[in-house]
Amino acid sequence: MSSRGDVLTGKFIFVLMLLVLFGSDARLLAEQQDANNKKDFFEMSIEELMEVPIVVSASRLPTRLQYLSAPVTVITAEDIHYSGLTTIPEILQFSPGVDVRRLDRQRYIVGVRGLFGMYSDRTLVLIDGRPATDPIHGTTHWEKLPILIEDIERIEIVRGPVGAAWGANAFTGVINIITKKPDQCLGGLASTTVSEFGDTYTHLRYGHRQGQWSWKVSAGYEDVEDSDAAGAGRYHSSSYTATGFDSYTARDWGRLWKFDTQAEYRLNDVTRLSFGAAHSSAQEGDFEFMGYFPRRDVLTEYTRLFARLDHQFDNDTSGYIQWFGNFWNTHCRVITEQMRYLQNDIEGQINFKPAENHNISVGGNVRWNRIQTDNYSLISENIVGDDDEYWGGIFLMDRWSVTNRLTLEGQIRVDHYSETTTDWSTRLAALYALDEQQNHILRLSFARAFRSPCLILRNLNFTNLSGVTVFTPTADVHNEGTYTLEAGYSGKLSDNLQLNVDGYYQRFERLFGLVITPDPPPPPMVYATFKNIDGANAYGVECSLTYHNSKGRLTAWYAYNGLATDQIDQSTRSFPPASHKAGLTGRVFLNADWTLNSNYVFQNGVPYDPSLIGGLHSFNRLDLTLSRKFAKGKGELVVGVSDVLNETTDPVFEAGHFTALETPGRMLFARLQLKF
Amino acid sequence: MIVLVLALFVTPFVPKARADSTVSREYQVKAAFLYNFMNFVDWPEEKSSDSNEPIIVGIIGSDPFGGAFEPVKNKKVKGKNVVIRRFEGLKEQKESDENDQEIEAIRECHVLFICRSEEKKLKKTINLVKENNVLTVSDIEGFPEAGGIINFVMEDQKVRFEINVTAAKRAKVKIRSQLLRLAKRVVEEEPSDEAKS
Repeated sequence: MSSRGDVLTGKFIFVLMLLVLFGSDARLLAEQQDANNKKDFFEMSIEELMEVPIVVSASRLPTRLQYLSAPVTVITAEDIHYSGLTTIPEILQFSPGVDVRRLDRQRYIVGVRGLFGMYSDRTLVLIDGRPATDPIHGTTHWEKLPILIEDIERIEIVRGPVGAAWGANAFTGVINIITKKPDQCLGGLASTTVSEFGDTYTHLRYGHRQGQWSWKVSAGYEDVEDSDAAGAGRYHSSSYTATGFDSYTARDWGRLWKFDTQAEYRLNDVTRLSFGAAHSSAQEGDFEFMGYFPRRDVLTEYTRLFARLDHQFDNDTSGYIQWFGNFWNTHCRVITEQMRYLQNDIEGQINFKPAENHNISVGGNVRWNRIQTDNYSLISENIVGDDDEYWGGIFLMDRWSVTNRLTLEGQIRVDHYSETTTDWSTRLAALYALDEQQNHILRLSFARAFRSPCLILRNLNFTNLSGVTVFTPTADVHNEGTYTLEAGYSGKLSDNLQLNVDGYYQRFERLFGLVITPDPPPPPMVYATFKNIDGANAYGVECSLTYHNSKGRLTAWYAYNGLATDQIDQSTRSFPPASHKAGLTGRVFLNADWTLNSNYVFQNGVPYDPSLIGGLHSFNRLDLTLSRKFAKGKGELVVGVSDVLNETTDPVFEAGHFTALETPGRMLFARLQLKF
Repeated sequence: MIVLVLALFVTPFVPKARADSTVSREYQVKAAFLYNFMNFVDWPEEKSSDSNEPIIVGIIGSDPFGGAFEPVKNKKVKGKNVVIRRFEGLKEQKESDENDQEIEAIRECHVLFICRSEEKKLKKTINLVKENNVLTVSDIEGFPEAGGIINFVMEDQKVRFEINVTAAKRAKVKIRSQLLRLAKRVVEEEPSDEAKS
């Protein structure tokens, strides 16, 4: 077995080989890229040409950031690139109103404005508008998303319910990961990141255009060492009376292969077909749950497919129809031999202008989820059972430019879910420009949305290994509901200074939580059921100030996100938001070749949730990177330090864990990237 | 690892294309903007009635675009072909038949990009086409104030544009609200007397 030093030496030799092989051809590589850029421009919209952040997640139609009916933060490809980070949750944590905590070397819990946890689906996660949420657990397995970091065009974070645009579960917010299209990826890319702990993240991509076809292929490999190897990993027990946890060994490693390809075929100037296939294959170490390790040496295969037809009928009418399928198969060695789902969805949308200044979109979708679990030996019950779920939704939205200054937007959507009921969502917004130049825009909005409990919350049926807790299925299930009132201001204070302020009040109804019954007393035998318990009130304000010029940009932000449940100690089987969050992100282009990037975030601690065993620690995190371009900008070397301020990160006791482990904090890394 | 090794050995043999280095990136982007503008502008019936007639983009003065419009050759806008025509600047000498023909050709354009070489004759050039339903575009400072319709400006090393809606109305060129929303500045003023002549 080779030592860690040998592994690192080997990786650096590999990086050096890349440098030598590609760097020698740098001039021609530069010319290739220029040629590709030239072709690109005529395929780009005006918004893309302007590099104006254009957002689709608030209303399913491309809209300028300042004119959205909901508060949105956009993380651009440039932000992602210069951060040097390789995981999406780590990138998200530097944005206002987003709660992120790290469970182990690979896993994170993420939520917009709180109510988040590993098994929480209150924040809807999408990739190019297609869901990336596991319908069994209702969560997003961030580390297994078949997407490579450098393939992300931008990430749109919508704060607040936008169920009228995206249906159920866009409850506290939406995170929509927009990937680069083939025409944006012409040429080749080779990128590899190596950390001081021996982690590697390698991405190879090639995009090409020929005639009416354009395509890109990305492939990557990620190797995450466990916390022990990274100098941390000490286990903590949620029960101070328990013993033996000191002997646990953190095996939170991961080996992931990722593959993503997309192709576009332009039938003519107005019709385009696009296809995509993405796959991730993950092998991972341990994950403690309810006192044992259901995820010991887990193998997971995750495939995402889509086919989409876009058509421009005339200048004012466009539409698309698409099919997508998400297919998941986890092979666990402890609880279930197989846990798989097959998700098929057909969706369509048409946009038209029936009258001057009205932009209307109508559409809908039908979805079929087939869920199958095959049990293994230790537990005889079927944890969640097999299930066929059906969804159907239709939506209508109108964006009406009443005057040059006043815009009204109305959205309504009705969804039927076979496992609960028919429910509806809406968003109504008024946007008013205070000045003729439309530099200062006020927004008032109201929204309603709902969330349908996922399968594991409805059907969980098992006894934990210790035999003291019996989970029983929920007999009476209702959707969680929410409505919100929002006010916002977006102001261009000068050519270089942008201020955004958003305030909200959000009411939650029938929140799901864990009800534990000591029946018959005395314990230790307890019965647990997830149920709709009671509501909560949330309120807050998020503001950001951005200064930019040709030398760089600096953003300072602050968010207050408060949440109070109706009952004292009410279980929401999720964490409330960190009430105070602040961030400072900056980037300085020192000259044409050198770039210094810095990201800082603070999130305060979160008190205990009775269903979650433990609370959350407060944390400060500072990341620094320095980038150096070479070979006419086609090569780049990045060196960075993530989490400068902490040697280790405190453990997070998430739902159902009796143990949690500290994870490494400060980490040196280097990335070499070449375009050709 | 196999993929990496394969990539290392295969990629050096991938054929390389050569770029047209004579055209700056700025004007490649501006060419694409011009192409996009045509989708958001409606010309009056007399200018657009014949579906077989192409949309004509004129470039007057010292052309900075070079071959930037090459990709447009195979494209259509609103179902019509796009034709690029290049004109020398307006001449100072007395009008001749040849000059008259060129003026008529300029007036036939749907879009006229007025190059920086024409700065001193800006007002004259605008006046030449103001009755002919021509979308005038330039990147000369003060172009909207001089009666031009769309002006490119650079901001933070990115291309932005300003629109003079009064000039557009006068030219009977209808600019859609989607385009107006994206403008850095929307101007509603008549050409000033002080404007460049």
